Amino acid sequence: MTTREFDGIQLERVREFVWEIPKEGDMRVPARVLASEALLEEIGEDKTLQQLKNATQLPGITGHAICMPDGHQGYGFPVGGVGATDTENGCISPGSVGYDINCGVRMMKTNLTYADVQGREAELVDALFANIPSGLGGGGVVESDIDTVEAVLNRGVDWALEEGWAVEADLTHCEDEGVRPDADPSAVSQKAKDRGKNQLGSLGSGNHFLEVQRVTDVYRDDVAGAYGLEPDQIVVLIHCGSRGLGHQTCTDYLRKIEKRHGDLLAQLPDKELAAAPAGSELAEEYYGAMCACINFAWVNRQLIMHRVRQVFERVFDRSWESMDMHLLYDVAHNIAKKEHHTVEGEERELYVHRKGATRAFPAGHPEVPSAYRDVGQPIIIPGSMGAGSYVLRGGEASMELTFGSTAHGAGRLMSRTQAKQEFWGETVQDELREQNQVYVKAQSGATVAEEAPGVYKDVDEVVRVSDALGIGDKVARTYPVCNIKG
Amino acid sequence: MSYELRPHTADVAVAATGTDLGETFAAVADGLAAAMCDRIPETGERFSFTVRAEGLEALLFDYLDQLIYERDVRGVLPVDNEATVREAGEEWVIEASARGIPLGDVSARDVKAVTYSEMRIEEAAAGWEAYVVLDV
Repeated sequence: MTTREFDGIQLERVREFVWEIPKEGDMRVPARVLASEALLEEIGEDKTLQQLKNATQLPGITGHAICMPDGHQGYGFPVGGVGATDTENGCISPGSVGYDINCGVRMMKTNLTYADVQGREAELVDALFANIPSGLGGGGVVESDIDTVEAVLNRGVDWALEEGWAVEADLTHCEDEGVRPDADPSAVSQKAKDRGKNQLGSLGSGNHFLEVQRVTDVYRDDVAGAYGLEPDQIVVLIHCGSRGLGHQTCTDYLRKIEKRHGDLLAQLPDKELAAAPAGSELAEEYYGAMCACINFAWVNRQLIMHRVRQVFERVFDRSWESMDMHLLYDVAHNIAKKEHHTVEGEERELYVHRKGATRAFPAGHPEVPSAYRDVGQPIIIPGSMGAGSYVLRGGEASMELTFGSTAHGAGRLMSRTQAKQEFWGETVQDELREQNQVYVKAQSGATVAEEAPGVYKDVDEVVRVSDALGIGDKVARTYPVCNIKG
Repeated sequence: MSYELRPHTADVAVAATGTDLGETFAAVADGLAAAMCDRIPETGERFSFTVRAEGLEALLFDYLDQLIYERDVRGVLPVDNEATVREAGEEWVIEASARGIPLGDVSARDVKAVTYSEMRIEEAAAGWEAYVVLDV
């Protein structure tokens, strides 16, 4: 048997791209890493594997704690982690969702081609940057008050539809049609609402961005056809989350759990794994609060997308409808959801925690929107500014291997502090424009340096593994044209 | 008192020292500001606040969380942090102040939250040391 060892943690090769850390000590289940040799080398460099091992100690964890091919060290649960816990005898863990609840990605299609945009990139990037709030303190697309925040938390994209910021098709092409019915706005603190009030419709900063992209490759014609993607087409990718409102909600519940369930926390190897026992008052409260934050994040991305439509109308002097600017899909990659999965022949309800992992339901799954049920759920994998992004579809093997999940991006390789020593924002911007024809505009040069293409893993390799395992199949690749960030 | 930003794959860590707990916590808070902004201008008014928690680590967590909250709600970057920390019965108390630079005056980026991950607060030969990972 082939084995590998990193910092005293031994992995056994189960089959190609599947590595297992056998159950030992306090582990409740084994852990699995889905990676090629090259990606495993990178995953083994930081504390990802130890964090993954720690996650196997969550009460009620089922099957395996799983690290996706883009996994890297986070806090508590690793980024790129999937953990399914029993909703009756297990727990729900805010730290295993992450601070940015429903951080996610949406892609909007257009009928423009790259030729329609070439020569106008500078104008377009300037217009987007001027009209889409980003960075710290930039406000939001809409000015909101507490009543607005309450309505958004409660009703999700339905609110946006009523206020003229969405059309019906935006709802039918979003996970859960853009509304989590389990949302409980009263479980979200006043502090969180105060933070969210000034940020509704804003990108934030860090790795969040908005990109105009062109489709460069199509790998599966039938699925691409069902998704409405073809070579040379212009699309828009939006990557952001629930902003300060979601960050505060995670913080609030970590502290509440620490105070109320200290006995459970004391059994866990990392405070950031803080978990509320299934069925407890706090588990219900957190689930309601998290679902409300999910709604907020969907509205956040919806407002940005609708504002992009308005920007395109001005730049191209046509209505957005005439440019067919329709939502392809919206995926969440920091989330926990009650889902039904078959485990050892038995159907069970589980909290599936996806922290830096994307739901990847295959064709035929009832939760895939009807528009895509015959081909599988679209998955959007954002890459770096220099490497492009991918559209995948939920693969047939995802339910068996990963509780219906795949990767969420390229995954970081280099720390932000090191990135700032190695790259200079303006140089990165100039090189991307001159060598790659990618126009970048950011609030902070430091953010450009921290997000330089060289700080990420090879997204092609991440997607190759996902495709080969059959958890998320390659459909199309896109490449940046314009990028704005905070 | 001093701080240093330390590498972390996805996020940023702050290592800080001070002669007492108040200085050390304030140094971590200055590290939080440094993680958001490279150049600190001289503008802004000072503001004060008090935070109470059941333990020292919880106090540092809640103190930094409050600074992030004040940043978003006041629309300022809290810098030049000052703090005193004391034990009061069953809880710990920090009385803190910061100069809040209007966000319009700086080119700053977001730190989403403070984390407990790898958090350390330890007494050292010359005072105290603390280590905190921030979620970016």
